[in-house]
Amino acid sequence: MSTLDIGGSQLDASWFLLLSAVLFSLGAVGVLVRRNPLVILISIELMLNAANLTLVTFSRQLQNMEGQLFALMSMTVAAAEAVVGLAILVDIFRVRDAEDVDDLSELKG
Amino acid sequence: MSNAALALLILLFPAGGAVVLAGRGWRLPRIFTVIVGPGVVWLSFIATMALFLGNANGDFTYWTWIKSGSFSVPFGLLIDNLSLFMCFVITGVGGLIVTYSVGYMEHEDGPSYARFFCYMDIFVFSMLLLVLADNLVFLIVGWAMVGLSSYLLIGFWYQRRSAVLAARKAFVMNVIGDVGMILGTFVLFVNVHSVSYSGVFDSLVRLCPANSNCNGDSGWLELAAFLLLVGAIAKSAQLPLHTWLPDAMEGPTPVSALIHAATMVTAGVYLVGRMHLIYDIATYAHAAVAIIGAVTALFAATIAIVQVDIKRVLAYSTMIQIGYMFLAVGIGAYSAGFFHLLSHAFFKALLFLAAGNVIHAMHDEQDMRKYGGLWRDMRLTSITFLVGSLSLVGVIPLVGFFSKEQILGLAFSKPDDAMVQILWLVGAATALITGFYTGRMWWLSFWGKPSPQRPVEHPHAPRLVMMVPVATLAVLAIVGGFIETRALGLGLSAVSDFLGKVVGPPAWEDTGVAVALGLVTMLLGAALFAGAMRIRPWSSYVPWAQTLLERKYYFDDIYAAAFVRPLDWVAGVAFRDVERPVIDAAVVDTGRLTRWTSVEASRNLQTGYFRNYVLVFVVGVVAIGGGLVIMRALS
Repeated sequence: MSTLDIGGSQLDASWFLLLSAVLFSLGAVGVLVRRNPLVILISIELMLNAANLTLVTFSRQLQNMEGQLFALMSMTVAAAEAVVGLAILVDIFRVRDAEDVDDLSELKG
Repeated sequence: MSNAALALLILLFPAGGAVVLAGRGWRLPRIFTVIVGPGVVWLSFIATMALFLGNANGDFTYWTWIKSGSFSVPFGLLIDNLSLFMCFVITGVGGLIVTYSVGYMEHEDGPSYARFFCYMDIFVFSMLLLVLADNLVFLIVGWAMVGLSSYLLIGFWYQRRSAVLAARKAFVMNVIGDVGMILGTFVLFVNVHSVSYSGVFDSLVRLCPANSNCNGDSGWLELAAFLLLVGAIAKSAQLPLHTWLPDAMEGPTPVSALIHAATMVTAGVYLVGRMHLIYDIATYAHAAVAIIGAVTALFAATIAIVQVDIKRVLAYSTMIQIGYMFLAVGIGAYSAGFFHLLSHAFFKALLFLAAGNVIHAMHDEQDMRKYGGLWRDMRLTSITFLVGSLSLVGVIPLVGFFSKEQILGLAFSKPDDAMVQILWLVGAATALITGFYTGRMWWLSFWGKPSPQRPVEHPHAPRLVMMVPVATLAVLAIVGGFIETRALGLGLSAVSDFLGKVVGPPAWEDTGVAVALGLVTMLLGAALFAGAMRIRPWSSYVPWAQTLLERKYYFDDIYAAAFVRPLDWVAGVAFRDVERPVIDAAVVDTGRLTRWTSVEASRNLQTGYFRNYVLVFVVGVVAIGGGLVIMRALS
């Protein structure tokens, strides 16, 4: 496994990937188990950023700038997604007091 | 106009009339129906007359209906003396009867009125197609279509349960005959590879040159002749497929006159006459025609003695007269059979229409015991009915005498055939019984005191539109016989000369003895007619015989026991034990299964909880990703 040069110190790339995986899992578990819609949105952001970390890591390792560009792209999308998601939430809060996503289950069959 | 176009026009007029009446015609004022309904039949009559005057003859092909390899069915019309003769009967007598219906059906409301004439025109079209077809396939088409129109017209008053049942019975019986016809055509086609008359007959002449005895290898020909005979029997209400005809009297009286007396029921006679080349060779089937005819005549005559419904008496009388026609064509006296067909069309249509006048005046009462004394109120109808009755009995010089005498005389004098002489005896006995039951009918209805149960005290006189056809038929029944007076040796033989070109001249002549016996039979019959005023039928002194006759020899009961009830039973079992528990259950359970899969099972997939969906998504990603990793590791 190759090493990356971070501020003069050499660090194995797998640590970055491991951190990314841990962050992603935390985000995924957050989405699954938390019920507050705001927290769920935050968890989604966490997963996106974990993915960004992976992109940047590989970009650095492979000496290819495309990965970093893609990370920037993904941040933009994340920002847009957060806007849309928050807008929907605000709209829902206007109509009702939804502290719990389980209350938003009108699509139940 | 060319003959081909005229021949087609004969068919197109009634077809067009039916289409117009079925389409928009019934919305138009009633006068439209009155003009179109009978008018198209008369137009056909004019076209027939034009062909007759032009001495038309020929086989006109218009287009090919079916073509498959060497098998081809052209739509063609055969104009020869036989088909023209039949067209005259159908359009002439038919025109009179349809005109009569204008008055008889006057109490129907607008749509029903138009529906009646529409059905009548369909019938006339079908019957004309039947007699004009130049091949067996279109013969069968016409054959089935007259059955259909008969069904429609018997069941015309579809609100009456008995009418619907009678219509269904007639239809089923006729379909038995249709199947016989179709099978007979198959047998012919398999053996001679043609369905056109000319093709079949040409092959017959080749297979069986004149005067050679080819009975040895004509088994298939006998089979075909017998199968066609099944069709003829069913259509002409001969034993043992006769039970539908008396019930068919549920239809309006003009229908009984046109379909169940003058034309459709004589189709069997036409068939045997048209196929006479086959029957001349197929001697067993030919003999069967004569035997069935004679036996039916005697059988129906005995039943007619005890019937009390005036139309039913006439129905049995029709069976008798068609029995005579079968006897005639069965012994090879074809033109005599067709002369009786014509004569029967005159006097039986007359009888039915005159009876229709009575029934109309009596507010649809048909029980003769409730008439009585109609002579005083309905003089003209009584006289015309008497003319028809005497013609039916065969009194000189009415048309019935000449035609019936010719059949019996030719049967008696057929050389070297003892069987035919027995059949003559049966026919002569029937003629005597005919005198009796006809007399009973006339005296009971028109003579004596009015029955206390008579529904109308002073019956109204029939309208002119009804009386004119009746009077015309009465005149025809009086003078019609003089076109064929061979029986009396007067030498006029218009009918047999005309038809001889198609069916061949009679192979033998009446003997003097036969004519003398015919006159004696006629006198005895007339005496019985007169005597019927006083004598009661002998069967009324023998209770079991009376019951036997009133139950019509238990034919209906036997058929009910042999066919109807077993079928009902099978249907009941199928319904109770198959339909309900198996088929219905399967359908219901299929529905239940669909509901379970679509509702109970799948609703749990759709919880509406966001995290469930995400969980499924995550588990899926992990499963696919993990699977890929494991596969990579293993390979």
